Amino acid sequence: MATIPKRTSDVIDHFGPHVAYAHGKRLDAGAQAECLVKTHCCFCGQQCGIQLKVKDNTVIGFEPWTEFPFNRGKLCPKGVKRYLQGSHPDRLATALARSESAPGGFASIAYRDAISRVAAEIERIQSAHGNDAFAVLSGASLTTEKAYLMGKFAHMCLRTSNIDYNGRLCMVSAGAANKKAFGIDRAANPWEDIPRADVVWISGANIAECAPITTDYVWQARENGAQIIVVDPRVTPIARTCDLFLPVKPGRDIALFNGILHLMIENGWVDQLFVDRYTTGLDAVAEHVQQWTPKRTAEVTGIAETHIRRAAEIWGTARRSFLLHARGIEHHSHGVQNVLGAINIVLASGRIGRPGCGYATITGQANGQGGREHGQKCDQLPGGRDLGNPDHRAHVASVWGIEPESLPQPGVDAYEIFRKIERGEIRGLLSICFNPVVSLPDNNYVRRMLEKLEFYGAIDFFLNETARHANIVLPGSLHEEDEGTVTQAEGRVIKINKAVEPPGDARQDWRIIQDIAAALGRERGFTFTEPREIFDELRAASRGGVCDYYGITYEKIENRLGVFWPCPELEHEGTPRLFEPGSWNPIARGSGPFYFPDGRARFNVAAYSPPAEDVDEEYPIILTTGRVVSQFLSGTQTRRIGPLVDQYSEPRVEIHPTLAARLGIRDGAWTRVRSRRGECTLRAMVVNTIRPDTVFIPYHWPDARSANQLTIAAQDPISKIPEYKVCAVRLCPAESEPAYVREETKR
Amino acid sequence: MGVPGNMEFFIDPSRCIGCQACVQACSECDTHKGHAMIHLEYIDRSLSTQTAPVVCMHCDIPTCAEVCPADAIKRTADGVVQSARKPRCIACSNCVMACPFGVPKMQVEMELMMKCDMCYDRTSAGLKPMCATVCPSQALFFGTREELAELRPRSRPANTFHFGNQTITTKVNMLVPKGGGAASVNVIDAFDEEPVGMSISIDPLLAGMYVEDQRNAS
Amino acid sequence: MKREVMKAVAFGTVATIVVAFLIVAGSRNLAHFDAALVGYTFAVLFATFGIVYRYAMWLQRPPTALYWRRGWQMFLKRGHRRRNAAMWGVRMVKDVALNGFIRNRDLLRWAAHLLLMWGCILAFAITIPLVFGWLHFGTVTGRPGWYRAFLFGFPSFTFSTESAIGFIIFHGLVWASILVIGGVMLAVRRRVRDHGAAALERFGEDFLPLILLFGVSMTGLMLTVCYTWLDGYGYEFIAILHAITVIFTLLWLPFGKLFHVFQRMAQLGVSFYRDVGQREGLAPCRRCGVGYATSMHVADLIDVERTLGFDYAVADPRIGHYQHICPACRRKMLVLSQGRIWADERRGFDREGANRAGNLDTPN
Repeated sequence: MATIPKRTSDVIDHFGPHVAYAHGKRLDAGAQAECLVKTHCCFCGQQCGIQLKVKDNTVIGFEPWTEFPFNRGKLCPKGVKRYLQGSHPDRLATALARSESAPGGFASIAYRDAISRVAAEIERIQSAHGNDAFAVLSGASLTTEKAYLMGKFAHMCLRTSNIDYNGRLCMVSAGAANKKAFGIDRAANPWEDIPRADVVWISGANIAECAPITTDYVWQARENGAQIIVVDPRVTPIARTCDLFLPVKPGRDIALFNGILHLMIENGWVDQLFVDRYTTGLDAVAEHVQQWTPKRTAEVTGIAETHIRRAAEIWGTARRSFLLHARGIEHHSHGVQNVLGAINIVLASGRIGRPGCGYATITGQANGQGGREHGQKCDQLPGGRDLGNPDHRAHVASVWGIEPESLPQPGVDAYEIFRKIERGEIRGLLSICFNPVVSLPDNNYVRRMLEKLEFYGAIDFFLNETARHANIVLPGSLHEEDEGTVTQAEGRVIKINKAVEPPGDARQDWRIIQDIAAALGRERGFTFTEPREIFDELRAASRGGVCDYYGITYEKIENRLGVFWPCPELEHEGTPRLFEPGSWNPIARGSGPFYFPDGRARFNVAAYSPPAEDVDEEYPIILTTGRVVSQFLSGTQTRRIGPLVDQYSEPRVEIHPTLAARLGIRDGAWTRVRSRRGECTLRAMVVNTIRPDTVFIPYHWPDARSANQLTIAAQDPISKIPEYKVCAVRLCPAESEPAYVREETKR
Repeated sequence: MGVPGNMEFFIDPSRCIGCQACVQACSECDTHKGHAMIHLEYIDRSLSTQTAPVVCMHCDIPTCAEVCPADAIKRTADGVVQSARKPRCIACSNCVMACPFGVPKMQVEMELMMKCDMCYDRTSAGLKPMCATVCPSQALFFGTREELAELRPRSRPANTFHFGNQTITTKVNMLVPKGGGAASVNVIDAFDEEPVGMSISIDPLLAGMYVEDQRNAS
Repeated sequence: MKREVMKAVAFGTVATIVVAFLIVAGSRNLAHFDAALVGYTFAVLFATFGIVYRYAMWLQRPPTALYWRRGWQMFLKRGHRRRNAAMWGVRMVKDVALNGFIRNRDLLRWAAHLLLMWGCILAFAITIPLVFGWLHFGTVTGRPGWYRAFLFGFPSFTFSTESAIGFIIFHGLVWASILVIGGVMLAVRRRVRDHGAAALERFGEDFLPLILLFGVSMTGLMLTVCYTWLDGYGYEFIAILHAITVIFTLLWLPFGKLFHVFQRMAQLGVSFYRDVGQREGLAPCRRCGVGYATSMHVADLIDVERTLGFDYAVADPRIGHYQHICPACRRKMLVLSQGRIWADERRGFDREGANRAGNLDTPN
C-alpha cells in the first residue's frame, strides 16, 4: 500500500528538498533582532550552545554563546547555518494525506481528520492482528521529554512491544559494551579531562568532521604536551598531524586492541593495583590475548608491527590518558566486541575515574545520550531500566499508575521491525524523527518493506524520503519550536529553549502524540500541558535507576549551564566524572566505583571475528561509509540548507591513487560501485588519504546517490547495530554519466 | 570606537581541519553580510587534507593600499585595513594581485574589492570576529597575549614575513614554535613544500602491507 | 614646492582660466551674466581649481599614473579601437548612466544612488549654464507668454510659459531637488539602520555630503515655495541660505566624498586595460602554472611596487619576483611555510634524541 504515489521528481517539486539561502531580513545587515534565545544546536551529540536571533517569529541568524562551557561560542558549519532550516519553503504546515490526484502525491487535510485517521488505523490493525502488529519508530534527536513520551506511548497507550529508535544505528554498540564493562552507559568523563591527558587515543572517530568542536580539546591536549594516536582507515583531518597514525583495515579493531593489551601485559604496563582492587576478569582476557602477538596483529590489522609496538609503548607508559571512539569501531557486526576491546586497554591501564584519565564514546545524535536512557529502546524503561526486569517494571508501572502486567515484553530492534513487516507480523507503523530509507543499510529492502505496510503514519517537519511512503503525515515541530532537555555527549543535561511558534497546523510532537492517544480514547497519562510536566514525571520515573534525573530541574540546568546525571537529589550537584571514589552509585552502594553490586569493572574477552562480508574475488574491495562535516545523518535538514549543500554537494567515492590506477579511474570520473545488494554511480575522488584496499562513501543522500544501497544489513548479535563500516564491493569506471544526473539536468 | 588594544588575532593553520565553519560564519558578519571574506582551501586534496585558512593579516604598511590607484583602501587608527571604500574602488584588481598574502577578493559583478576587515562591526564593539569565535579547532584565535600564553605553551606569535627581499610586518600574528629559531616566517621557503601530514602508501618491502608515510609529520 | 604640486597648481590654474574665459565668452562679455550670481561663479571657479588640482595630484600617484597612461594606450591601441569604442558606449550606459554595478551591490543603495546622481546632474545641467550666462531666455516679440532659449547667445527653440514644456523647464530645479531629497532619504535610512555601515561610517566622509545635498535641495525648494505660494515672503533670507549651502558644497567638492564623481571615470580606463590585457594573454603562476592575471598587469605592478618602494624580488630564479605567484599559491605558501617551521622544530626534537614517548615525565 505504502508505495510512493508519484514519480520521485513530482514529490521533490512539491516537497523538496529545495535549498534555502539567507534572503530578506536574514540578509539585511540592518535587521534588529527582537531577542536572542539561548539554546543549542539541533544537530550532533555535542549540543553546542548557540543564541538564535529572532524577529517576527523567524530565526534570522545567530550570535555565538561564548559563556556556554562546552563550546564557548565555537560552532561547526552546520551550527552556523542551522538557522536556515526554519521558515523553509519545504516546511510542512498542514497534515497531509496520500492522494493520487494531488500534486506531489499528497493533499493537505485538516489536522483533526489526520489524527482520527491515524487512531482509526491503529485501532483497526491492533484489533485485527494484535497489539504488536503496530510498531513505532522513534529518534534520538528528540528531546528527552519526547523520547520518554514515545516509550510511554508505545508501552502504555499502544501496548506494543515493537518500538525502537534510530539510536540503533548509532550508539548501541558502545552502550551495550559500557553496560557490560562498567554497568553504566555514559561517557565516563567530561571533555575537560581531554586536555589534561598525556595521550589521547582516538579510534574510529572522524572528530574533525563529525564532532568538530572536540577538535579544540584534542589540540589543547597536544598543546599541553600530549601525544595523539589516531586509528582509522582514512587520514582524517584530525589524523593528519597526529603523532602516531594507525591505518587499520576496516573491521579489525579488536585485533588491534588485543595486540596492544598483549604488549601491555608482556611489558608490565598493566596497572596491577587498579586491576586487583577495582576489576575482575583480566586473567581470562590475558589468556585470550596471548595469541595476539605483534606479528599476528600486524597481519590482521594491516598496520606495521613497529607502529603497533610504538602505540603500545605510548599508551602503556602514559601517566594520564583519554580514549575516545565513535561509530568507526561501533558500526560492525562485532561492534560490541570492538568497544569491549577498547575498554580492556583502558581498564588495564587503570586510567579511569580520575582527572585527566578518561574514556568516552562520542555520541552521534543530538540527544544520543538522553534518547537512549528513558524507554524508547525496544527493551528499555525510563531511568535506564530494563523492560524484562520485574522490579523495574513494577517501579515504572507505579509511576504510570498501571499494572506491571499490562506492560508489554521487550520487542525487537529497528531493523528487525522491517523483517517483521516482511513476515506480516507488523502491519502498521508510526514514525518520528527517523529516515530509514536513507539511513538503514540495504535500503532497497527497507523501501520494499514500507511498501508492504497496510498503514504508515509519519510525523515530521519536512517530507523526508521515508515519509514519502506515508499514508498520513503529521506536521511536527522543529528544534527551535519547542522546549525541553537533551543530554549531550558528556552526559550533561541541558535545556533547549523555544525561539519561535510552529507554523500553520504544525505543532509540538508531544502534543501530536497526546492527540493520537486522546483519539484512541486512551488519554490517561497523556494529558501534559507543557514539557516541564513531562520532565517532572520522567524525574520520578528515573529515580533510583542508574540514569537518575530526579535531582535535575529546568532551573538548575539554566543556572548551572547544564547538570551531569546521575543526580539523585535536588541538593546533588550532578556527576561530571564517573567512577570517582565516593560518587553516588545505586548498584554498588559503596563497595566500589563501578555500577555492579561488587563495584568492580568487568574485563570481557573480545574475540576477533572477520566482518560479516569479507572481500573475495568477485567483490575485492572494502567499502566503508561515514559522514562529511557539512551534512548531518540522513540530511533531512542539512540537504535543505543551501550553504551546506554548496560546501559538499554530492557524495563522492574516495579511492587511493594506487587502486584508482589499477581500475583506470581518474579523479572526478563517474565510477560504478557495486555490492551484492545494489549499485551506485558516483564521481571518484582520488586521494592518498585512504587505504588502497578500501573506498569510502558518505551516506547522507537518498535514492540513486545513497551509499546504503550497497551496505549490508548484518548486525551485531548483542547491540543489533548494522555493519555500516565494512562490506565488499567492486568498482569500475562508468561508461557515461548516470541516468539520475541526466534526468536532473533535463529538469 | 576601535578594536581594544589588548585583543589580538592569532592564527595557527597547523590546527585547521578545513571544516569551513569560518567561511560560513564570515558571511554572517554585518560589514559584509552574504559574502565570505576568509579564504579556506585545500593545499592539494589528492595528497592531504591540509587546508589553508587565510584572513587579512592587516599589514602595518599595506601593499594593497599603496598600489590602489583610487586611494580606496584605508587603514584605521587601530591598525585594521578596511575593505575598499565603495565610492572610490574602480575594480582594477591591483590590490588583489599585489597583496603578498593573497587576501583581497574582487567581486566582479559589483566592481568592488572586498576583504576581511576583522569583522570591524564586532571587534570595534568589543566582540570577537565571527571566524575566530566559531573556529572549532581554534586555528583562528582572538584574545589577549596573556590568554594565548596560557593556552599555547609551545607556541609564540610572529608577525614578520619575508617575501624575497621584502619584509612585511602585520597586526595579525602567526603562531610558530616557541623554542624554535624562526622569529619570522620566510614564505618563499615553502615554494617546493608539499602538504604537511600523513598519507597512506604501499610499502613494497613489506609485501603489500599498508603503512603510513609520515613524511613531514614527525 | 614639489614638482607634482607645481604641476597640479599649473593644471588647476589653467583650468580655472579656461572656465573664466568661457564665462566671459559664453555670456557675450557678461552681457547675459546675472550679477546676483557672482558668489556662485566664484565658488565654481574655486571648485574648478580644487578639483583639477586634486585630480592632477591624484593622477601623479604611481599606480594612478600608470592606469591613466595604460588606459588611454589600451583604448587607442591598434586593432582594438573599434571594439573599445563599442564597449565605451555600452559601459557609459550600463555603468555610468544606469549604475549597473551598484545595482549588483544592493538594490536600495542603487535606488538611492540613481536618484542622487541624476538629481545632481539635472541640477548642474540647469544651473551652470544659467549662472555663467551660457543659457538665457528672451521674450519672443509678438507672442506674449512665449520665450526663446539662447545657448551661448545663439537663439534656440521657443516655448509658451503656459505649456507643459514651459512648466517642466521652469521647474527643472524642483524636479532635481525632489530626486536628490529622495536619494538622501534612502541613503540616510541605510546609514542609520545598517549595523555594518554604522561601524565603518565617518561623519565628514559619509554624512556631511548627504547633509549638504539635502540643504541645497531643501533651500532650493523653499525658494520655489516662497515665490509660488507665499508671495515672496522671506525670499531674501532663503536665497542667502541657499547660496550659502550651494557655495559650501562647491567649495567642499574637491575634498570629500563627492570627488568620487570625477575619479569614477577611471573605471572605464580600467576596463579597457583589462579587456585588452586579457585578449593579449594571461601570465601563468610560477608555482601552479595556472594563468591568474594579464601579463601586462603583472609587469606593471612590478614597476609600480618598485616606484612605491616595495621590493618583492626573489633570488630563486624559478620565481624571480613574488608577483609571479598567484594569490591562491601565496595563501598556500604562507600556510606551508608555517607548517615547515613546525616540521623543522619536530625534526629538531628527533635529532636531539628527545624521544617523545620516553619523555612523558617532562612537565607540560
